[in-house]
Amino acid sequence: MDESIELKNLRPQLYSAAEYCEKSYLHNEQKQMVLDNLKDYAVRALVNAVDHLGTVAYKLTDLLEQQTLEVSTIELKASCLNQKLLTCQTYTDKEGIRQQQLLAFIPRHHKHYILPNSVSKKVHFSPQVQTDPRQTYLHAKARLQPSDTPASKTLSWHLSSETKSTLKGTSQTLASNEISKPPASASEVFQLLENGDNAREKSSAALFPASNALVPSLGITHRELEGSKPLTAFRSFDNPKRDIIRAPVRSKSVLSSFFVKQKQMKLKAGYVA
Amino acid sequence: MARAGGITNAVNVGIAVQADWENREFISHISLNVRRLFEFLLQFEATTKSKLASLNEKLDTLERRLELLEVQVGTASANPSLFST
Repeated sequence: MDESIELKNLRPQLYSAAEYCEKSYLHNEQKQMVLDNLKDYAVRALVNAVDHLGTVAYKLTDLLEQQTLEVSTIELKASCLNQKLLTCQTYTDKEGIRQQQLLAFIPRHHKHYILPNSVSKKVHFSPQVQTDPRQTYLHAKARLQPSDTPASKTLSWHLSSETKSTLKGTSQTLASNEISKPPASASEVFQLLENGDNAREKSSAALFPASNALVPSLGITHRELEGSKPLTAFRSFDNPKRDIIRAPVRSKSVLSSFFVKQKQMKLKAGYVA
Repeated sequence: MARAGGITNAVNVGIAVQADWENREFISHISLNVRRLFEFLLQFEATTKSKLASLNEKLDTLERRLELLEVQVGTASANPSLFST
């Protein structure tokens, strides 16, 4: 600031010095001496002006560099704050997604292979159980839809539909003929027990509705696995480390025989009708 | 006598011309340096203008970023339950 003020004051000083030199050269006899003094004064004034201008330029440049450095530092701090906020935002988003994922029910198996659960979590296929097949089917249907899967496409639906159709078609005519010979492998009533802890195990439990109505027509009196080896849940395919517990051979053969018999009953119902 | 006076006049004229040339040379030096000083001032003005413009732009950007950060921090501080575990 002082240098700039001195630089501003240097202009009127130069004007006043020029007027004095002109008057002295005109009125003074020793003109050479006046001329020499004027030359010296001009040189010194020029050097003084250059010095002042250099100082002002240097200080202004230094001030600008300092300001630029401060602005860069503040920009760095602002970017740091921005990164912190972005981290917090990402964290909240991830937490929200995680909570939503925990709440959502994602079915592990295709709904075609999901059987509905019964009330007691057991599937009885016993003639002694006097149950209404429609009620059991409705209960199974209610249990089967935790994720709003339509019951029309589940295994139980297929079983119940086939059972109903066969019951309507052949009431008692077929009971005494073909089905009176129970197969050796299907001479027992099987129970599908399940563990009540896991939802997957619930979904994999089998429920066979319309057992009461079917049994007298088919003449099936099966008893199997009461206190013996239970048919545990079919584990998911996602976890290969766990041992996949499959149904024993007997139950598979029973199911296959059951389906085969239903198909035979269908055919014969068509012939009868 | 007249001849000596003529010689003296010629010498004086010669000296005067030489002095005049020296003065002109001095004046040319002074004017050259003043022009160089003027060019330095022009260059300094252009450089300082560009530096000030860049600094102004940086300050504008920084101001907008700080305003955005202020709004974001205000939004975050309004819902502290989001960060509670």
